[in-house]
Amino acid sequence: MSDAQLADWRNLALTLETEVNKVVVGQHTPIRLITTSIFARGHVLLEGDVGVGKTTLLRAFTRGIGGGYQRIEGTIDLMPNDLVYHTYLGEDGKPHVSPGPLLMSGENLSVFFFNEINRARPQVHSLLLRVMAERSLSAFNAEHYFPHMIVFADRNQVEKEETFEIPSAARDRFMMEIPIVVPADDDIMEALVFDTRFHNVDALVETIKADILQFDELNTFSGVLQNSIVASETLKKYALNLWKATKAPLDYGVKVSGVDMNRLVLSGASPRGMSMMLRAARVNAWLNNRSAVLPDDIHAVFHATIAHRLVFSPVYEMRRTEIAREMLTGIINAVSAP
Amino acid sequence: MTKSIRKYALLLLMCMAPITVLALDSQELPDVKEGIVSIETKEPVRLVGYTVGDVIEREITLTIKAPYKLIDTSLPIPGYEKRYKGQLIGIELKSINHVKEESKNQTTHHIKLAYQVFTNNVVAKPASLGPEYLNLINTEDKDDLVKYRIPSLSIAISPIAIFGQVKIENNMSPFLGPLLISDHKEIQTLEISLVVLALSLTGLLYILGKRAWLPRMGRAFARTYRAVRKTENTEDGLKQAISALHQAFNTTAGMSVFNDNLSEFLHNHPDFHPIRPEIEEFFNLSRQVYFEPSFQPESKYGVNNDPHKWLINFTRHCRDCERGLIPEPMKAGA
Repeated sequence: MSDAQLADWRNLALTLETEVNKVVVGQHTPIRLITTSIFARGHVLLEGDVGVGKTTLLRAFTRGIGGGYQRIEGTIDLMPNDLVYHTYLGEDGKPHVSPGPLLMSGENLSVFFFNEINRARPQVHSLLLRVMAERSLSAFNAEHYFPHMIVFADRNQVEKEETFEIPSAARDRFMMEIPIVVPADDDIMEALVFDTRFHNVDALVETIKADILQFDELNTFSGVLQNSIVASETLKKYALNLWKATKAPLDYGVKVSGVDMNRLVLSGASPRGMSMMLRAARVNAWLNNRSAVLPDDIHAVFHATIAHRLVFSPVYEMRRTEIAREMLTGIINAVSAP
Repeated sequence: MTKSIRKYALLLLMCMAPITVLALDSQELPDVKEGIVSIETKEPVRLVGYTVGDVIEREITLTIKAPYKLIDTSLPIPGYEKRYKGQLIGIELKSINHVKEESKNQTTHHIKLAYQVFTNNVVAKPASLGPEYLNLINTEDKDDLVKYRIPSLSIAISPIAIFGQVKIENNMSPFLGPLLISDHKEIQTLEISLVVLALSLTGLLYILGKRAWLPRMGRAFARTYRAVRKTENTEDGLKQAISALHQAFNTTAGMSVFNDNLSEFLHNHPDFHPIRPEIEEFFNLSRQVYFEPSFQPESKYGVNNDPHKWLINFTRHCRDCERGLIPEPMKAGA
């Protein structure tokens, strides 16, 4: 693919960002990260309070990239088959089976949003994780494929009752964990409350230009993109040092206030995690019109791609968000390149 | 005794007779009238503490108005032992120096008398130099012989050593200053200690100043400047220089400095603000050399012309900023 085509796709990606920024205000960083994950073909874990605009954000992206959008709410009685099919009695009095959220859009499924994933049972997690990893599902004696699907899952970190924490192995399947927080800007907060444009989400999403991207071309383009953006030896060494630092932060002089660093990290970033980080960094470089990955690109995605993969001692799990942020910031500050 | 010997002895006696007569007479001669002779004396500064062997000098200037003149033979004779009330006092005139200046109306005599002490005692004892009697003659009347008395000078002869148990306070002469103990060694020790203290403080300042002889010297960019100057103008040399500069930035900031946290660095180190464009150009050069060879940075300060030379200048500017100086702006193509 020529540089011109890369540039064309970049313009489309930036257009998509601009469109989404129009309807979801004050979320530039999450929007850039979601754009990155879409082009890096990675699943995303959204972290945020209730009603901060996660669903609107995903619907806006879905409208921009086209394809099917499905959503399911995580509940304690949700079973794996609820994702695959529904059974009901039809008007004819006979039992009927209809496709569940996963199958409803078929191969055109582009965004699957699992709301409050930590309320679902581990069996459901298990099914979802297989779908995420293999983008396929066996049901009704047939294999169903979702080649263009990206899973967005939301977990409520505030409430802990009747929830099932996602195990580290499951978290590792997500390329990013993106925090969605209420914008701190007073003007934006005022607009969100008083601007009637934001009251009707359906109408708001409709204002976005539809099908800016072709969802079924993203996989192909993503491969091209990854091959086009190079990583120098210096950058590889830098990434390697970052990886080592996630495993043994104390070796790099990284400390977190109020934490025994000798006991903190049970497991650092995984090879898959580092691979995903580099994929995301390449996309970030491309979005910034660069032909090679810079440390800046890694920094842009480092927290989002690594923080949720770290396995801490149970005693520190309750503070994992703040500890992970401080530790990763410390690692970036401690590791130099070249 | 032969005749000739007798003759010589008589002749010698006759020659000495007038001197003896004159010497004897000088005590009995009338004093010179007031106003004929004026005297100035220069006495020794110290009047006490003399002991055997010491030489004491007096300088006397006599001005004798005409028609009187000094009879030179009346001057004191060296070797003559002084007596007081007929007793030898142990002070002898060692030498005399006489210079005469004559004029029409007066004669000035500069007489320098040197006395030597030949006595001592176990306790201090008083003594005196003089008086000396000089004879004057009226040149207009040869029978008018008068005498002039040079006043005596009281001194004190001190013992060489004190015998027995002595209470110093009771023997302190009011003319003596306090007895001083030699403090030479103590002063020398104090001086050496002060030198050692000064050296120690200097060393401490050097250590506390992170091995810089002056404030803000020997810091990261100063060391890097020396290192960068030694690098060769080759691809490897360029990489070494860039790497060293990155290390200097990291050391100065206390964290890794990248293009994306450059603003934070400048916020924390405002001394570097004047060269912000140059720093950005440096990071672009680093990007090209280490990460993206195809990248062609826009060069405002001539980094593309001779990167190695540019880096040396840039490092010097960083060093100046580090020292709180404002460097001269880099010219394009420098």
